[in-house]
Amino acid sequence: MLIENMSMAFHAIRANKMRSFLTMLGIIIGIGAVIAIAAVGDSMRNLFTDAFKDVGLNRAAVMVSWEVDDFRMSDQFTRAEMDRIKDIFSDRIEYIDSNASNKVEAVNGRRKVSYQFQGVDYNYTDVQPLDIVYGRFLNESDVKGAANHVVLEDKGAIKLFGTADSVGRTFRMTLNKITQEYKVVGVYHKDMSPMVAMMLGNGQSQSGFIPDTVLTRSNDTFQAVNLYSRNGTNMRQLTVDLKQYVAKLKGRPESEIMAMSAVDQMGTMDAQLGTMSAAVGGIAAISLLVGGIGIMNIMMVSVTERTREIGIRKALGARTKDIMIQFLTESALMSACGGIIGVILGISLVKIGGTLLKMTVVVNPAVIVLAVGFSALVGIFFGLYPASKAANADPIEALRFE
Amino acid sequence: MWKKKKSQPVHETEYMGEDLIKLVDMVKVYDTGTIKVLGLHRVNLTIKRGEFVAIMGQSGSGKSTLMNVLGCLDRPTMGHYYLDGIDTANLEPDELSTVRNRKIGFVFQSFNLISRTSALKNVELPMTYAHVNQKAREQRAKELLERVGLGTRYEHMPNELSGGQRQRVAIARALANQPPLILADEPTGNLDTASSVEIMELFSQLHKEGATVVVVTHEEDIAAFTERIIRFRDGKLVSDTKNKPQIQTEEEAVTMQKEGSHAD
Ligand SMILES: Nc1ncnc2c1ncn2[C@@H]1O[C@H](COP(=O)(O)OP(=O)(O)OP(=O)(O)O)[C@@H](O)[C@H]1O
Ligand SMILES: [Mg+2]
Repeated sequence: MLIENMSMAFHAIRANKMRSFLTMLGIIIGIGAVIAIAAVGDSMRNLFTDAFKDVGLNRAAVMVSWEVDDFRMSDQFTRAEMDRIKDIFSDRIEYIDSNASNKVEAVNGRRKVSYQFQGVDYNYTDVQPLDIVYGRFLNESDVKGAANHVVLEDKGAIKLFGTADSVGRTFRMTLNKITQEYKVVGVYHKDMSPMVAMMLGNGQSQSGFIPDTVLTRSNDTFQAVNLYSRNGTNMRQLTVDLKQYVAKLKGRPESEIMAMSAVDQMGTMDAQLGTMSAAVGGIAAISLLVGGIGIMNIMMVSVTERTREIGIRKALGARTKDIMIQFLTESALMSACGGIIGVILGISLVKIGGTLLKMTVVVNPAVIVLAVGFSALVGIFFGLYPASKAANADPIEALRFE
Repeated sequence: MWKKKKSQPVHETEYMGEDLIKLVDMVKVYDTGTIKVLGLHRVNLTIKRGEFVAIMGQSGSGKSTLMNVLGCLDRPTMGHYYLDGIDTANLEPDELSTVRNRKIGFVFQSFNLISRTSALKNVELPMTYAHVNQKAREQRAKELLERVGLGTRYEHMPNELSGGQRQRVAIARALANQPPLILADEPTGNLDTASSVEIMELFSQLHKEGATVVVVTHEEDIAAFTERIIRFRDGKLVSDTKNKPQIQTEEEAVTMQKEGSHAD
């Protein structure tokens, strides 16, 4: 009986191809939009998550706001202040540094490679694990003794030395106006999606790590304090407490101190994505509503056109339920077809967009199933009234219908 | 096997009495809102199993009204209608559907086949509503189409068939669930003489095989095929006479059929 109904519905839809297609348009557009938004949202979220994984989800920073009118020298942080912050919040802060980095030219004979060196403490890898492929990371004595040691990324090492395994090799570069020899103690490898690399914007120069005691001088001051919290820290509370402490330290109102965490920023982006999704989702919902009404309208027409058929079926023994199911199957199938076409349309659009933007697009299969299922439900809902009109028709009246 | 698959309340009691149709003081009034039109007035009528009956009368005399009641498409306003032992007066619309499905085969003046649906599917339809399985349905539909002389036209759509052929599909469909009663409201009204004779021949044959057939007609020629002629005037039964069927010999039937197929 189900197969019978499906094939009847299929025939009815095919009998009026153009009309069925036009009727489906609302559903096609609505579902297409839903699929596209869902895919864009998922892809963006993936991208952010990737990017933040690179940056570190437990990362935070605190500084005097850029927007203050009266910038003072004391707004900068000294190394001593940084150490004090780490002491005071030691139960919550695992790692702290000045986030110093410097772009320099490394020279090895005739090879010259531009490097972006990040000044770090020896326990940096505790908070940002690195895949060391040769040698080791900077150790405590490197940092405490301000040794001219560096750790390079493998592709940078290849550029500078022609081989990734360059542990023990030396090169020259100019830091703080002094040209000196530096030694490679380790090489690491990093996988980064091209999109993230583009977002982080260091596509041009190679990267590497150097003790921050080498990169900066002991009496340098820094604009911001960069830190990683211990696992399980409430980041929101930490930023609030940091803000309060730094405000007191710098003698400024809390409103002039900026403290932000990666989680906060990700939350903000998520919220923005959510707002966008909600707006386009609203449009999709209206489109589905209009599509549903279109289906209802065409089903009313169909029921009227087929009044005589309904009469014949009833005379031959069809019960209310039989006619009801017949017409509901038809409207559900029509709507589900619209949904399937919409899914194809939505995915194609997103794939084309993704190709143009060189972005990997994720389409969640659950969303597809949900979209098609939901469109079938729309069909059933809006088919209810026409179907019940057909099902409750009086057989004699229906048979007499011209 | 397609008879009584499930025991539904309407045919739980197996009635095998002689009277297939029994109308007792049956009144049908059409309430059009402003005025009430009397369709049938106190009709008492009994039709036994195996009878071949013609219902005649002028236009507006109540023939179709009677057929609608007999066919359980409509319920009497007053009085009783017993079909195969079932009092139809108290049945719900869905119960009436089931009664129609199992007890009655309809043949209409305007064929009433479902358009864009093959002859085979049309014949299968009553069996579909009786929940007969696909295989049994198709097999029986083919047998029936063969029997009405359309063995080569299973897949034809109604609009690819002549009037006479369409009516034969309709008859095959009426026989699908082996109903005890065949009701035909002016089955030859839209056909030429040759096709009309063919159709009436088919009914005669069904009657000879034991079916109960009730035919509404305007034409004396058509009524002449039957064995009993009941006449109506202004909603009242005015005469009920026995008739000696016109065609009696096999030979005559064959010649008539040949003429029919020439005109097809
Ligand atoms: N649905 C209806 N509403 C109101 N009056 C009706 C209805 N159906 C039939 N009638 C009336 O009932 C009477 C009997 O009509 P019916 O259709 O039974 O006649 P009939 O004998 O079949 O006529 P014909 O030979 O023209 O088909 C007529 O007066 C008709 O106007
Ligand atoms: Mg009539």
